[in-house]
Amino acid sequence: MELFLEQLLNGIAIGFIYALITSGLALVYGILRILHVAHAAIYALGAYVGLGVYILTGSLIVAIPVSMAVCSLVGVAIEKFVYFPLLKYPPYVPLIASIALLIGIEEILRLAASPYIHAFPAEIPIDPVPLGPVTLSPILVTVYLVTVGVLAALWFISTRTELGLAMRASSQDLHIAGSLGINTSRIISITFTIGSSTAAIAGILVGIYFNQVYPTMGAVPAYKTLALIVVGGLGSVPGAVLASVLLGISETLLIGYAHIPLPRDALAFIAMIAVLMWRPQGLLGRR
Amino acid sequence: MLLEARDLRVSYGDVEAVHGVSFHVEEGELVSIIGANGAGKTTILNTVMGIIPSRGGSIYFRDTEITALPSHIRARQGIRLVPERARVFPLLTVFENIMTGLYGLRKSTDVPSRLSWIYELFPVLKERAKQLAQTLSGGEQQQLAIARALVSQPRLLLVDEVSMGLMPILVEKVFEVLGYLNKEENLTILLVEQNALASLSISHRAYVLETGTISIEGDAGTLREDPGVRKAYLGA
Repeated sequence: MELFLEQLLNGIAIGFIYALITSGLALVYGILRILHVAHAAIYALGAYVGLGVYILTGSLIVAIPVSMAVCSLVGVAIEKFVYFPLLKYPPYVPLIASIALLIGIEEILRLAASPYIHAFPAEIPIDPVPLGPVTLSPILVTVYLVTVGVLAALWFISTRTELGLAMRASSQDLHIAGSLGINTSRIISITFTIGSSTAAIAGILVGIYFNQVYPTMGAVPAYKTLALIVVGGLGSVPGAVLASVLLGISETLLIGYAHIPLPRDALAFIAMIAVLMWRPQGLLGRR
Repeated sequence: MLLEARDLRVSYGDVEAVHGVSFHVEEGELVSIIGANGAGKTTILNTVMGIIPSRGGSIYFRDTEITALPSHIRARQGIRLVPERARVFPLLTVFENIMTGLYGLRKSTDVPSRLSWIYELFPVLKERAKQLAQTLSGGEQQQLAIARALVSQPRLLLVDEVSMGLMPILVEKVFEVLGYLNKEENLTILLVEQNALASLSISHRAYVLETGTISIEGDAGTLREDPGVRKAYLGA
């Protein structure tokens, strides 16, 4: 029972981290209809910048916003200088460019910070929280609080503000949104800023949680998050979050607890194939 | 002059769809561009709105050139579009769709009074305010598209094929509303229509567009009597 609870709590944390990465991908797909594979490289970059600033300053309170800012700049630069000029071509053209960016950024990280695994020895000033027979470690508490906070902020912006209304309108019909006075190129940049900052937070949390930061840490998330936005329903942020949390829990419980003899990373794709066969619009997608 | 287009040319790829078209709209006028399917009517309106770039010629709004401005700037200067097939935002509620029309204007507008004016014109939108726009019928979506364009009190309303796909009784009602807005609210309207009879009956002036070129222009009343127009567009 204790083991089950512990695994469940870990599974929720993994799912929350997937949700942070995937929601940014879903936002970008929603507005530009581009599979932003390089989003996973932004996530790895976020972990590196966060680690670097943490080593320099010893403070996560400084490291997190700096990493968010750097990742936003890189994300918006990718949008302006790579995706925007390629939008007039068929969707596989920006997709190929995005894959090239993923590999390119990985290689830059390898050149800049060596190919080895770095530890992320962050001190989190929170006491462990006892929860019945088990104890929540400080990093678990942090993952829970940060994810709930970020998702609540995304929900608030999207449903309760004029900016959110403009973002949702732009993702449904970019030209008509423009004809109503919405500066759509600004909305697209804001979308990349939000998505990239969220990925930066995810990178830092993963770095601390597994105490590992390495150049190809984005490789598995790159394709796993693609499977997740298909499962959730392309472009649906709530769908992406739901699919992520379900996947995190199933991976941990089925593989880690029930010891089903499957590679952990296969589950996302089994789920994707199942969804494509029985519910091609995704869990919360339309049509 | 409120709107003037001079020698406007528009292409899709290498194919020119509009070959040097000139027209104008005076303040307070209701002007129609009529013509068959594929004549380039929608292309012209989308170019005036800034959704499609022009290949040549120029557009002036209130005597200032707007040819190179992006569409959101044109919208802020007071041009609004009721697009072909309504194109409401399907996953926003009716109320949210209307509010997109007030984007950036909430602080400078008396929102409640503007909304009650809109709901008075289109009572069905008030009933359905909380429904997603994709659940509306075609006629209701068309009313929502007009409401969304109208709520900011534009200086110029562009209306694209509002009669398309509507039942005849709804077409009559929509044209009645447009005529009322022009007459009583002094709204300037540029209409493009296949339904020449209905649009000529509420217009001051009209242009006839044939495969990207304006062939006839004049008073709506004169055009209705013109034998060529009657034969080609009025079925008489």
